[in-house]
Amino acid sequence: MNEKIVSQPGIRATDRMQQALLYDFYGELLTEHQKEIYEQFVLEDLSLSEIAADEGISRQGVHDLIKRCHKILNSYEEKLHLVEKFLSIKENVHRIDELLNEYSAVSDKNNEEEDTKNHLIQIRSILNEIIEEL
Amino acid sequence: MAVKIRLKRMGQKKAPFYRIVVADARSPRDGKFIEEIGTYDPNQEPSVFKVDEDAAKKWLNNGAQPTEVVGKIFKAAGIEK
Repeated sequence: MNEKIVSQPGIRATDRMQQALLYDFYGELLTEHQKEIYEQFVLEDLSLSEIAADEGISRQGVHDLIKRCHKILNSYEEKLHLVEKFLSIKENVHRIDELLNEYSAVSDKNNEEEDTKNHLIQIRSILNEIIEEL
Repeated sequence: MAVKIRLKRMGQKKAPFYRIVVADARSPRDGKFIEEIGTYDPNQEPSVFKVDEDAAKKWLNNGAQPTEVVGKIFKAAGIEK
């Protein structure tokens, strides 16, 4: 298999990622109908005309509805900042994790006591819990 | 048969992760797809794409339409017909 792996700073975690996160946090606040259509657009990557044909409404109707959903989700984020906080906590936890890795490399070398190692293990498991629960 | 290449969201809540799949354009709702040709992980910085180039080219040459987002990914990966 000729597999190509691309990872370049030119392409950033895009709007799509932001939209998916907004939906994960605030999606439940949309109506069932809005959710159904928004999911097809953001999660299944269907085009406006595909959704329109599927739902039996006009392409313009789908466009308006999705735009309205963006607006609603963004307005929740403007007021609550849950996504922003989530991303910042996640980054900090990763940073702590990296520091722990460096620290445990040093303590392994110095043959430090069991207590220290146990502490490290416990700290790591708390970090994992924090990430899971975010 | 009209065939599209699109993203499909996988992964748990708050950790979006996508497969790049080839699917029949006319049965979009049931979530079935013909072949998985890659993945897209926006959780890493910068985001990471893995694409099976041969499969992608084969499908493009057979007239499969990439969606806008997938088109951008292919362009970045230098995948053309």
